[in-house]
Amino acid sequence: MGANTARLLSFQILARMIDVRQITKSTKEGVPILKGISFTVTKGEFVGILGPSGAGKTLTMRCLNGLTRPTSGEVLFTDHEHNLVNLTHARGRELRKARRQIGVIFQGFNLVKRLSAIDNVMIGQLGRINLLRSLVYGFTDDEARQALAVLEHLNVAHLAHRPVGSLSGGEQQRVAIARAIYQQPAVMLADEPIANLDPTNARKIMQILTPLAKEMPIIGVFHQPDLVMEFCTRIIALKEGVVVRDGDSKMTRSELVDLYGAELSEIEASQRILQPA
Amino acid sequence: MKQDTPWTYSGYRRRQTLRIWTIALVIGFCAYWAGVSCKVDVDALRTGLPKGIDFLGYLFPPDWTAFADMAMPALETILLAFLATIFGAFLSLFFGLAAASNIAPRWLRNLSRFLLATERSLPEIVILLLLISALGLGPFPGVIAMAFGCIGMLGRLFSDAIEEINPATLESIESVGARRWQVITYGVLPQVLPSLLANTIFRFEVNIRLSVLLGAVGAGGIGFQLYYSFQTLQYQRATTAILITLLLVFVSERLSDYVRKKLTLDARL
Ligand SMILES: Nc1ncnc2c1ncn2[C@@H]1O[C@H](COP(=O)(O)OP(=O)(O)OP(=O)(O)O)[C@@H](O)[C@H]1O
Ligand SMILES: [Mg+2]
Repeated sequence: MGANTARLLSFQILARMIDVRQITKSTKEGVPILKGISFTVTKGEFVGILGPSGAGKTLTMRCLNGLTRPTSGEVLFTDHEHNLVNLTHARGRELRKARRQIGVIFQGFNLVKRLSAIDNVMIGQLGRINLLRSLVYGFTDDEARQALAVLEHLNVAHLAHRPVGSLSGGEQQRVAIARAIYQQPAVMLADEPIANLDPTNARKIMQILTPLAKEMPIIGVFHQPDLVMEFCTRIIALKEGVVVRDGDSKMTRSELVDLYGAELSEIEASQRILQPA
Repeated sequence: MKQDTPWTYSGYRRRQTLRIWTIALVIGFCAYWAGVSCKVDVDALRTGLPKGIDFLGYLFPPDWTAFADMAMPALETILLAFLATIFGAFLSLFFGLAAASNIAPRWLRNLSRFLLATERSLPEIVILLLLISALGLGPFPGVIAMAFGCIGMLGRLFSDAIEEINPATLESIESVGARRWQVITYGVLPQVLPSLLANTIFRFEVNIRLSVLLGAVGAGGIGFQLYYSFQTLQYQRATTAILITLLLVFVSERLSDYVRKKLTLDARL
């Protein structure tokens, strides 16, 4: 209770950087997927979003960057200069300007496979540099040095000149993280940033993200409740397109069973199919 | 599919075999019918063949002294094909982008696809004859005709390659606030470049052949030498031109094969 009150107070003091208001999203056939999601994220937060597969986590993240337009509701974003941008309606120049300040790590990385790792990282700042210069890959030595430093930080500097298509899943994942960091955004959206990493590297990435979250709020989707409880400052749980929990970073065992319960029985069911009759 | 008979592999194979035999029979019948209606005449072949072999005698030995005369025209043929390919590929890139549904708006895509299809249905020789009547004889109308001749094929191949790109990759570049031209230079071009170059080089090979043909109709080069030698009954000189043409086509084919293999070979372990 005490922590909750403190959080409510801090909402009023600190700027709300991302304000999600009652967003819904339905398929073309009218099947509702997101059913009224609301939350606000302020400076300094490291939000972990948990939820079973298909809960709508990725779709929510897409709405936060304007890649998907919600059926109703809106997403407000406060940029560096304290301008309020409505991401649900922004288009063209206004949308591009807002997106420069929103770093995204995609669930499938979505890097350019034939470009080198370092070129992929430098794509992070395309929104900032002069258009003509960018059209001839005219990055400066200084920019390349910075990009390399970020790769170094993530332990993949030795892969800088390899085409991304030839990297392993975990290596691509770290290049994608490097791209988002190099972008120097005001907020970061990370869709399963540690899904393809071994336990040691997953923990290392969480250790890199945690201090970063002090400068730019991070909203991350995870499937590792233990790591989320250890590193995040807040947990939002999504299930069937609804926020079923929004609070501190401690979830009890029974809360977790409530959240993932349906999934667990599905796994058991699928195992039964594979068993010989 | 009927619900009551369960799916079996042998049943599936039987249906497949029946399908293949039906198709083979239909094609065989069509070929027979086409042969009859074109009056394929085996007798004419039997009497014509010795005459043809006799004629080969006039062609030999090749007139090697004409070789020096033909070096420049041969180079002209290569340059013609080269220029036309470069120019055509460049134009095709823009048409290819405009005809790709993941880059261009719908109306532009439909318009470009329509123009490309129109161009494809127009043989180069028609374009050349039109241009010759406008610009007169010479290599210039040849280059223009071949360059435009590329667009239909290359533009279509380029746009198909561009449409193959994973939309998530393009989206991820948009997500950093990049403009459309940046998405093209970073997301589209590197991904399609190998296939673009491979198709362009293949088209260069086609253009070498075409450039010989168009040369005969007045675009100059080795094609014109060939045509001129036949017209003036200098058959041995014509043989030299034929040999040079063969050499050109052969070398360009090997070259294009080699480069395409290099380009499309992915770095797999
Ligand atoms: N374009 C679409 N058309 C129809 N249904 C869609 C579409 N995109 C997403 N969905 C559905 O919306 C639901 C939520 O998808 P989403 O990708 O947000 O899940 P998620 O929570 O990120 O799951 P995961 O943990 O597996 O990544 C899924 O059931 C998915 O099938
Ligand atoms: Mg997801």
